[in-house]
Amino acid sequence: MRKGILAAALMAALIPAAAKAADEMVFSSWGGSYQEAIRKAWLEPFAKATGAKIEEDTNPEVAKIKAMVDTNSVAWDVVTAGGGGLMRGVALGLFEPISAEMVDQSDVLDGARNAYGVPSEIFSTLVGYSTKAFPASGPQPKTFADFWDVQKFPGKRTLPDKPETVLEAALLADGVAPGDVYATLSTEAGMKRALDKIRSLKPNVAVWWSSGAQPVQALGSGDVVMALGWNGRFQSGMDSNLPIAMSWDQQIPQVGYFMIPKGAPNKATAVKFLNFIVKPENSAKLSEYVSYGPATKGAWQFIDKARAEKLPSTPERLKNALFLDIKWWAANGAKATEAYTAMIKG
Amino acid sequence: MAAAHIQNGAGYGRMLGRPAAGLPGWLGILPYGLVLLAVFAVPVLFLLRLAFGDAGFSLAHFIRIAEVPIYRSVLLTTLSISGMTTVLAVVMSYPLAYLMATVSPRVRSILVVVVLLPFWTSALVRTTAWIILLQGNGVLNRILMGTGLTSEPITFVYNLSGVLIGMTHVLMPFVVLPLYAAFRGLDLATVQAAEGLGAGPWTVFRRIVLPLTAPGAMAGAMIVFMNAIGYYITPALMGGPAQTMIAQMIADNITRELNWGFAAALSTVLLAATLLIFVIFQRIFGLERLMAGGGGTRGGEAFRLTSRGRTSGGILTAACGLLVALFLIAPILIVFPMSLGSSPFLSFPPTDYSLRWYANFFATSKWLDAFLRSLQVAGLSVTASVVLGTLAAIGLSRTGRRWRPLLETVFVLPMIVPVIILAVGLYYLFAPLGLVGTIWGLAIGHTVLATPFVFITVRAALKAFDTNLELAARGLGAGWVTMFRRVMLPAILPGILAGAIFAFITSFDDVVLALFLTNIRTRTLPKLMYEGVAHEIDPTIIAAAGLIILVTIAVLAINLLLSRRR
Repeated sequence: MRKGILAAALMAALIPAAAKAADEMVFSSWGGSYQEAIRKAWLEPFAKATGAKIEEDTNPEVAKIKAMVDTNSVAWDVVTAGGGGLMRGVALGLFEPISAEMVDQSDVLDGARNAYGVPSEIFSTLVGYSTKAFPASGPQPKTFADFWDVQKFPGKRTLPDKPETVLEAALLADGVAPGDVYATLSTEAGMKRALDKIRSLKPNVAVWWSSGAQPVQALGSGDVVMALGWNGRFQSGMDSNLPIAMSWDQQIPQVGYFMIPKGAPNKATAVKFLNFIVKPENSAKLSEYVSYGPATKGAWQFIDKARAEKLPSTPERLKNALFLDIKWWAANGAKATEAYTAMIKG
Repeated sequence: MAAAHIQNGAGYGRMLGRPAAGLPGWLGILPYGLVLLAVFAVPVLFLLRLAFGDAGFSLAHFIRIAEVPIYRSVLLTTLSISGMTTVLAVVMSYPLAYLMATVSPRVRSILVVVVLLPFWTSALVRTTAWIILLQGNGVLNRILMGTGLTSEPITFVYNLSGVLIGMTHVLMPFVVLPLYAAFRGLDLATVQAAEGLGAGPWTVFRRIVLPLTAPGAMAGAMIVFMNAIGYYITPALMGGPAQTMIAQMIADNITRELNWGFAAALSTVLLAATLLIFVIFQRIFGLERLMAGGGGTRGGEAFRLTSRGRTSGGILTAACGLLVALFLIAPILIVFPMSLGSSPFLSFPPTDYSLRWYANFFATSKWLDAFLRSLQVAGLSVTASVVLGTLAAIGLSRTGRRWRPLLETVFVLPMIVPVIILAVGLYYLFAPLGLVGTIWGLAIGHTVLATPFVFITVRAALKAFDTNLELAARGLGAGWVTMFRRVMLPAILPGILAGAIFAFITSFDDVVLALFLTNIRTRTLPKLMYEGVAHEIDPTIIAAAGLIILVTIAVLAINLLLSRRR
């Protein structure tokens, strides 16, 4: 017994020394099933392949990253964010630039590349609807124009309470060509056109949602018949047998990014990890656990057809997609949010 | 002579501003004052100064607030929703507090748990349960339509009524408890005398109950109003765009837009507006006078039903009290059945039953760890805030009258300043000290948030405390410490207890400070519950809430059984 304790003590004394020799990395993301998927798809395999010791943390708010950078107390090596968080952090110089020498991103989708982040996944905003209200026997909504068509598809809707993707969808529904959407939005008349289009739908909007779970909840309960929401959320509603379907005919994809905060303590391991996730065979992995599409072109050869059915970034589906322009939003987001909030409030 | 001295004692003491020697006023005020300076004023001003430009003085942010109409309308919305919530909370609290004061001790302890139970569950659980109850095809609408009361579903949520229901529900206990204490402080003899002189129930209520319980109600109303102004999670989830609160815009500008200067400017405007209302209130309605009006002598028999029994008005009031209790407990009632559903999408009643989410709770140690850590942090901050707040309240009652309104205002400031501003400021203060990521840093932050609650409730209790008793005890030879222990402490104990409960709730329910000051090893239960919430609601949080409620009910049941044996 005593020998056992002694051996354990000896082991405990030795292990930190051994661990120091190995690489370390602190990874911080948004918790929940998303972080669990990342853990299974990437963190654990990476640790196994390289012997690196990975510690996890949660809630990498950009505001907290700023506070860490400002106070020289950066505790995270890799953090995750959507395009908005990435661009706002870049504007304040919070992230390390990621050069081609550091991480080879040549296989990454063109619309997803960024100098400060490695794309981890693609998710989409699209039209979801209740199959009770619109069963397969009758007409089902397909496009954003259908979403706005309350004659053909009567019933309440839910839309995000933030303008990202909604302004785009409104212009697409109003007949603007995908290639002209941001040029149109940049003009005062174009912005007014988008806002007016949304305003016209207001009497039919039951909920302006603030959390991704709400549209699915509202569709499932029958409080709304159609929702502008995220594919991954609709998918998990469908997987739980809620009477929901979504249309892939038109979508606005967004990219999730992994970044290295400036002054990260284990930058070298972080770079290794980012190289690991962009490899096509690894890039394909995440979609095994969550319905987000890979951000690399080479990943599709590792994904079977049944799974591809649920993902937004297949080459076929990207043909009808308008990528969210995070640079446009970085420049115009504050003004657009003000105008949007005023419109839905008024 | 001695009698005359005692009789004049109150006036005499008030004239001097401090009743005899003992604890000097400044000594009571000093500890809380220093804490406020070091871990409130410093971090908050550090951030608020950004309102006037990053480099050099600029009013650009304020000009934007003045020029873009949306900010004015959001500020007005915030103030009017807070005002409505306060009125609702006070009006609904009266029948419940009356009911609590007039039932048997056993029923009373059940009612106290009913009042506090909603707090034991996270704000996220409460709002989720409300939405399930109130949505278009929700439980309430199904009942209404099933009984033929309505033919069309009524929209209770995602509009003003949703916000008012959610906020009143959360904030009502802050009025019920002080009000209940005030009811208990009513001298039964006063009521009996009034009845003997022929006063009817309505007259008794208007002329005796209302004036004597006003201090309790005022203390509660103040807490509700100040708190409501800083709310945004409940309004964001249960309201519509027309109910956007300014705290939400401040939080958005801090975390999403990273426009800290603008967030600071919005906070400054909010702070100025709130202070203005507070001061006007103090001037016109005389907060000091209203709170001092409660001269309930604690020596007499505590208020209960008189020999007259319940009048028809009393029965009606008690029935209203029961309805209010039902309102408080309603979302909790459906948490259990919901937590037994197998689908990750919450519904009531669930289609299939399973223990899946409970298994999830125990599958990893993270839920239990976070729960225990929440208790630890709450324990630390309750202890600290009770000491600081009580000392400050006693100290203030011994300070010159001239300074009281100012100090009173300064001491409740942590309730008014948006929490996110304090959170970010504290990060900058604590990071160089190595306090970020420790439970100590978080406990300090929670202490700052919680102390105003103790301060207000103890202050209200002290107002009702008869200084003659203190003078009598001192005159009979008791030292200040003995007097405090034997006379003052028992009298103000309900106030201290109410403050301690509020402090506990403040700490136990906080997400914002935890977000900035903890990491994965020190995260609290609310922080864990909020992880991933932008995408999904993990039903494990409902199971966690269910377990907490079960434990509470078990403790209550054991308590009741034991008291029955005795």
